Amino acid sequence: MAESIALNLAQLAFVLLLSPLFAGILARLKEIVQSKRGPSIFQPYRDLRKLFGKDERISAESSWLFRTAPYLIFIVPLIITLLIPVLTDFPLFLAFAGDMLAAGFIFAVSGLFFTLAAIDAGNPYGAMGASRTRMVGFLAEPVIIVVLFTVSFIANSTIPYIVQQHWVHPIANFFAPSHILLLIAFFMIILAETGRIPVDNPSGHFELAMIDESKALELSGRSAALVKYGGYMKFTVLAIIFLNVLTTPWGLASTGSIVAIVGAAAAVSLKIVALVVAVVVVESSYAKLRLFRISEFLGAAFVVSVTAMVTELLRL
Amino acid sequence: MIAFTPLLALVAALWCAVPRSDRAAPWVTFVASVLTFGFSLIPLTALRAGGTIVFVRNWVSLDSLAAFFLALIALVYLTASLFSWGYLKGEPGERIRLYYANFNFFAFSMLCIPLLSEIGVVWIFVELTTLLSVLLVSYALSVEALEAAWKYMVLTLLGATIAVLGVLLLFWALHVTGSTDFTWTGLREASARMPHALLGVAFALLLVGYGAKIGLVPLHTWLPDAHSQAPSPVCAMLSGIETSVVLYVLLRLRDVFAGDAALHVGSWFLVAGLLSVGTAAFLIVQTHDYKRLFAFSTIEHMGIVIAAAGIFTPAADVAVIWQLLAHAVTKSFCFYAAGAALMATETREIARVRGLLGTSRAAAAALLLGALAIGGAPPFAVFLSELAILQSGILAHLYLAIALLAVFIVLAFFGLLRHVTNMVGGEPEAGRIRLPAPCLWALALGAIPVVVLGVWMPSGLGAVLQSAARVLGT
Amino acid sequence: MNGIIVELNALVLGLFIIATIAMTVTRQIGACMQLFIVQSLLLAASAFLLGASPLSWHLVALGCVTVLSKVVIIPWVIRALVPGEINQRRELAQTIDVPAALLISLGLTLVGYAFAQPLIHAAPSLSAGNLAMGVAGLLVGLFLLAVRVEAVPQLLGILAMENAAFLAGIAVAPDFPLIAELAIAFDVPLLAFIVALLARTAYRRIGTTEVGGLAALREWIR
Repeated sequence: MAESIALNLAQLAFVLLLSPLFAGILARLKEIVQSKRGPSIFQPYRDLRKLFGKDERISAESSWLFRTAPYLIFIVPLIITLLIPVLTDFPLFLAFAGDMLAAGFIFAVSGLFFTLAAIDAGNPYGAMGASRTRMVGFLAEPVIIVVLFTVSFIANSTIPYIVQQHWVHPIANFFAPSHILLLIAFFMIILAETGRIPVDNPSGHFELAMIDESKALELSGRSAALVKYGGYMKFTVLAIIFLNVLTTPWGLASTGSIVAIVGAAAAVSLKIVALVVAVVVVESSYAKLRLFRISEFLGAAFVVSVTAMVTELLRL
Repeated sequence: MIAFTPLLALVAALWCAVPRSDRAAPWVTFVASVLTFGFSLIPLTALRAGGTIVFVRNWVSLDSLAAFFLALIALVYLTASLFSWGYLKGEPGERIRLYYANFNFFAFSMLCIPLLSEIGVVWIFVELTTLLSVLLVSYALSVEALEAAWKYMVLTLLGATIAVLGVLLLFWALHVTGSTDFTWTGLREASARMPHALLGVAFALLLVGYGAKIGLVPLHTWLPDAHSQAPSPVCAMLSGIETSVVLYVLLRLRDVFAGDAALHVGSWFLVAGLLSVGTAAFLIVQTHDYKRLFAFSTIEHMGIVIAAAGIFTPAADVAVIWQLLAHAVTKSFCFYAAGAALMATETREIARVRGLLGTSRAAAAALLLGALAIGGAPPFAVFLSELAILQSGILAHLYLAIALLAVFIVLAFFGLLRHVTNMVGGEPEAGRIRLPAPCLWALALGAIPVVVLGVWMPSGLGAVLQSAARVLGT
Repeated sequence: MNGIIVELNALVLGLFIIATIAMTVTRQIGACMQLFIVQSLLLAASAFLLGASPLSWHLVALGCVTVLSKVVIIPWVIRALVPGEINQRRELAQTIDVPAALLISLGLTLVGYAFAQPLIHAAPSLSAGNLAMGVAGLLVGLFLLAVRVEAVPQLLGILAMENAAFLAGIAVAPDFPLIAELAIAFDVPLLAFIVALLARTAYRRIGTTEVGGLAALREWIR
């Protein structure tokens, strides 16, 4: 029990401490690809420190929603961290408290509050960003549902710890079309949900074109820091679900010893960096889609996920 | 020796493909077609009593049905090559040469089909007939001709692609029975042992796929366009023979599928045929273009043949063969007449042609004769064959279908005749025009079987038809 | 039969249908051609995988001929014959918007699956997916032909349908006597040649290759 709690804490620490680093690496790599030098990979840490140290301005017209939403956005990725295999390939004590569907619902809660907070502040861009985020969310929803249903078809479970073991026992499962296609669909969903190109431009500064960022325009000081931090962690958590649960459990610790855990942390970091490289490649080779084309991008993801399901059904 | 008959057309095609052969091209083509026709008559008599000449086992063979089609193709090839000679007068030499090269390739692809007995290769050649005639359809290079060629190409190739899956499934069904003899005879023998589900799907795919090429409603939309925009001799080949050749493939397949009674092949043929006949009859009434008129009449006749093939009695099969012969000679003649009218008036609009009798007596007489003959007026061949079909249907107790068929045929007849009499009569708008001699020869040559077959059936020909129908057999 | 080969083949099938659907919705003509090449490569890959165990030289040869004919010759023929500007231009004319086209294609995929279902239990297990995905690809290709108005995408649609038919074919008829090779090696390049020639003539004569928009021959216009 004590070991389990310690391992859970290690998982939380991993997500908390390293998430900004991955964001920094992504930003730096992207700049390098564009023939620029770019900020240090530790820049997100400095940004967060700076924001935490600043005064916070809150509109007198806003309600409690505006004040509580940032905390929720910060906490939700950490809750999900407790449900998924971050460093170990054996279940920890909260493993069966919620499945992947539950993780989706919990993310939806923070999304809902973020939306409400954005409208609450009264900034017109906030409402605009909120409605656009909802649009992306609605279109991503069917893909996520189909992906999860297909996973449950294949592995007869949606508990992350069980699902991850299925892909490599036997190894042929890894090459199953449903598996590869699920990965493609889910990767597209990560891009959409975390506001990357081609759905949204995270480094854009033009309010009219923003989707995700414009919701946070009214936030300042600690709230801004929490939302930013929450965003970094959301990316990390989704990446972990993608890499550890949906791809393979390779690199995870199979015992609770300190050496194994440290090794797993390094391996998982490497996997996330690899994913970051993939994201950079996508971001550098595509332009942001016009708003009405986003439905086509997510439609494509839907096609891929349904094909995954059909090929699974075909192997009767 | 007979197996090499199509090679004559191929040689002619290659000859015409050589640059600067444009003066010789009409000669070469004509000689090749005469020789082809001559050679194609030889097996007719030899096979009259039945049996099969095998040239290459499982690949190339000839029975009386195939020999009948070979001769039919060669006959239309002969008249069309003669008519082309006059029709292309005044075209630039280079275009004439390319036309003849393509024309001979097209004839080659059709002549091969009856000789082949391996179904996969037959499919390839059916697709080749499309590919090798597309550029003939677009020969005029007008917007309409290009559109017609494109529609023709897309829809028939679409059909071919659907059909190939049917062919593959049929092969699979054969494979399941343990046989590897993928020929007409091999399939018929094995058809009783094939899995029902596979046969059903293959039948649907093949009917739709080859049906598109025959012009069965609702996949007929390309046919009036292609068969009206192409040069008239090509129209004669397309309408008179190409559709019939594909129909020949479908007729042979019919007997493969007939082995499975649960498929109701006969009913499907009847329904498909009646649908085409009915649609075509109404289209004939409303059309404004006299070449389209004859194209719709082709859809009608293909429908009649398919419906008759659905009756499934020996008498009906004889009527089917008889109808195919009558249609091929009459329809090709109709298109020569239409081509002559086009040369005389330079328009395809029915409303703009008046007093054709004053403009060109030969064209007017041919058009009237063709319309009467193809519409089914006595005493022409089509009348007799249609009567035989109706009769055999009544004997098979298919009263409703036969009543419908008769109504549609009558409707189409009056539609045809109304349009043609409008064109022939009235005050001439232009002066008298003399048609080129080869065109007149082709019209005269084409008119002989149209007139003769209605009043006198040579006893030898009767035996050929009987034995061809026996191969279809039920 | 080797498990990994079965899975890899199934993966190829999934990618095949996705490539076909992508051909239906992509906007650029050039991208459509590249997707066709990908689709042909996937057909060849499926032939190689099915031909590897148990070893069938017939299927291996089919794969080689497919690569040669559809990946090398046909794109070359089309590029050589059709004016270059057509390949680069964006094709704006599309009769159905992309999300609707995607959903319809998906529906057709499911129809193909349902259609092949009754046939599958008679097939060896490895090829079940080939038949279903082949039929689905045939239907999606048909749909492609219906929504495209440009000449080159229509040609590619026909070729894609042909690919789909052979994808089904290599599963149900692995030792098909020669027709598949002959057709792919000889028929299909001829098809591409003639159709591209026609498209070029149309472009020169009418200044457009939007053949789907031609309507001079409609019966009800006059």
